[in-house]
Amino acid sequence: MAVYEHGYKPYTGSLTPEWSRFLILPRHAFRDVFRSKFFIAFFALCFLYPLVAAILIYLHHNVNAIALMKLDLRELVPINASFFHAFVTSQCSLGFFLTVLIGPPLISRDLANNALPLYLSRPFTRKEYVVGKMSVILILVSLITWIPGLLLFLLQAYLEGAGWLGQNLRLAGAIFLASLVWIVVLAVMSLAVSAWLKWRVVASGALLAIFFIPSAFGEIVNALFRTRLGHLISLGAIMNSLWRGLFGLFQRQTGQIEGMRNGRIIEITMLEPPLWASWLALALICGLCVLLLMRKVRAYEVVK
Amino acid sequence: MSSTIDSATTAQKGARELPWGLWAQQTFSILSQELRKNFLSRRALLLYLLAALPIFLLFVLAILPPDDDEFQNINGLSLVFSLIYNTLILRAVVFFGCAWVFMNLFRGEVVDRSLHYYFLSPIRREVLVVGKYLSGLVTAIVLFGLTTLASLFMLYFPRFSSESTRYFFEGAGGKQALIYLGITTLACIGYGAIFLIVGLFFRNPIIPALLIYGWEWINFLLPPLLKKASVIHYLHSLMPVPMNEGPFAVMAQPTPAWISVPSLLIFTLIVLVLAGYHTRRMEISYVGD
Repeated sequence: MAVYEHGYKPYTGSLTPEWSRFLILPRHAFRDVFRSKFFIAFFALCFLYPLVAAILIYLHHNVNAIALMKLDLRELVPINASFFHAFVTSQCSLGFFLTVLIGPPLISRDLANNALPLYLSRPFTRKEYVVGKMSVILILVSLITWIPGLLLFLLQAYLEGAGWLGQNLRLAGAIFLASLVWIVVLAVMSLAVSAWLKWRVVASGALLAIFFIPSAFGEIVNALFRTRLGHLISLGAIMNSLWRGLFGLFQRQTGQIEGMRNGRIIEITMLEPPLWASWLALALICGLCVLLLMRKVRAYEVVK
Repeated sequence: MSSTIDSATTAQKGARELPWGLWAQQTFSILSQELRKNFLSRRALLLYLLAALPIFLLFVLAILPPDDDEFQNINGLSLVFSLIYNTLILRAVVFFGCAWVFMNLFRGEVVDRSLHYYFLSPIRREVLVVGKYLSGLVTAIVLFGLTTLASLFMLYFPRFSSESTRYFFEGAGGKQALIYLGITTLACIGYGAIFLIVGLFFRNPIIPALLIYGWEWINFLLPPLLKKASVIHYLHSLMPVPMNEGPFAVMAQPTPAWISVPSLLIFTLIVLVLAGYHTRRMEISYVGD
């Protein structure tokens, strides 16, 4: 057929519903991510703790097992807020390392190869693009955090009886919310880093540095000024406070230390920053990341 | 028979006439090019920020001095500096800074797709490794050495200017400053060698870097024998003011300086030989980076 005979014909195939278009991105991303054997091994390792936790919950309710072990497991590892807090803390830490592995190349590859116009020239908005990229992290980290967490909660509720579920419903909310907040922070932060640092390795390094260097800085501030305000610049410490708050374990006073002032020994009470300050610090970090992300994710870039 | 003797003589003569002059010249030329990249490229910005972090903290400390007695007399400040140096400068700034500088030496070129220019030029790969390593080393030592000295002076001089002058130029302070500078230099040499090899051998060097960070961080918990398989142990052994590592620390005899320093240097030499050997057979693949 001659070229001039080619007329415009609209696409007649079935359209992906608008609400689910963003899911195209994770579908393709997962194919890439699961090509790495190291990632698969690490991902599998992330389910070790939930498995151990499930066994512990089961043993709690298995009279024969308790009798066999001659240990009072109920006393040793009680299934309460601390148990689920420890679970969320460890799984969210693994979620961070998972994000370091998968997060950095998400946007950087598109930016480095000028592929963004290819996405945005289709019926696909900037928001959908960002949400699609974020959902790669959201889905994968959810699989190792709140989903097994809630399954463990349900297992415990099933074995313990209906009363326990009613009394501890707050814990289910805490597991979900604590994980979700961390996942959103990770997703937003890694996408912002990925958008600004176009090299994968550099972006991964920067993500690690953002986590570890302010933590060291915060600890030094705490040690020098005999305060706990340094925790406000450490992402790990902020999250720890928030998680403790959500599980009802947060205490502002974390101890007393002795110091020398004017030749006299004085007791200094260590007070953690209030929870609202931690929430505010986290909101500021997320806001900054979103701002950075929005500045970079554009259909075209004016190069001077 | 005579031909065997001839070839042996030629080989000996060849060994004597290795072009050391040319190699030195080439090393110097790579060094100057790389130094320009290390100090003036956009990537250096993060390095400057990192190096400025302790100075910023000490600037704040100079403006808002705590009331504690440690800060009220000049003798207490050595403990304060030991804390800052161990926790912030050595474990965070120098570690991450060296990771950044030395991993970028080869990995950065792969990412920029420019390593083949070096490989196509008529220089031995070993010379390239040495030139690049030296450039990273000079960058790290200059930046983090300055950070160490500036931090030390920022801690002392704003509070006790006249005493500090005497302490550093007539008393024990000068020696202490030199020891800290020496430890920073050794840290750059040791970590530099590790990250050079990590950048060469691993396509994604972040995972090994993370493992090394973890290993160095839990060093205080390790049994004495395992402690020796880390850079931080040798650096801690040289500290003029040892830091309390907490109640959970496993105590170990510090390694004497005459073992620590040569150990790190020998380790670096081995790593450089290994890196040279690896680079000699290296083929570039830019796919996936």
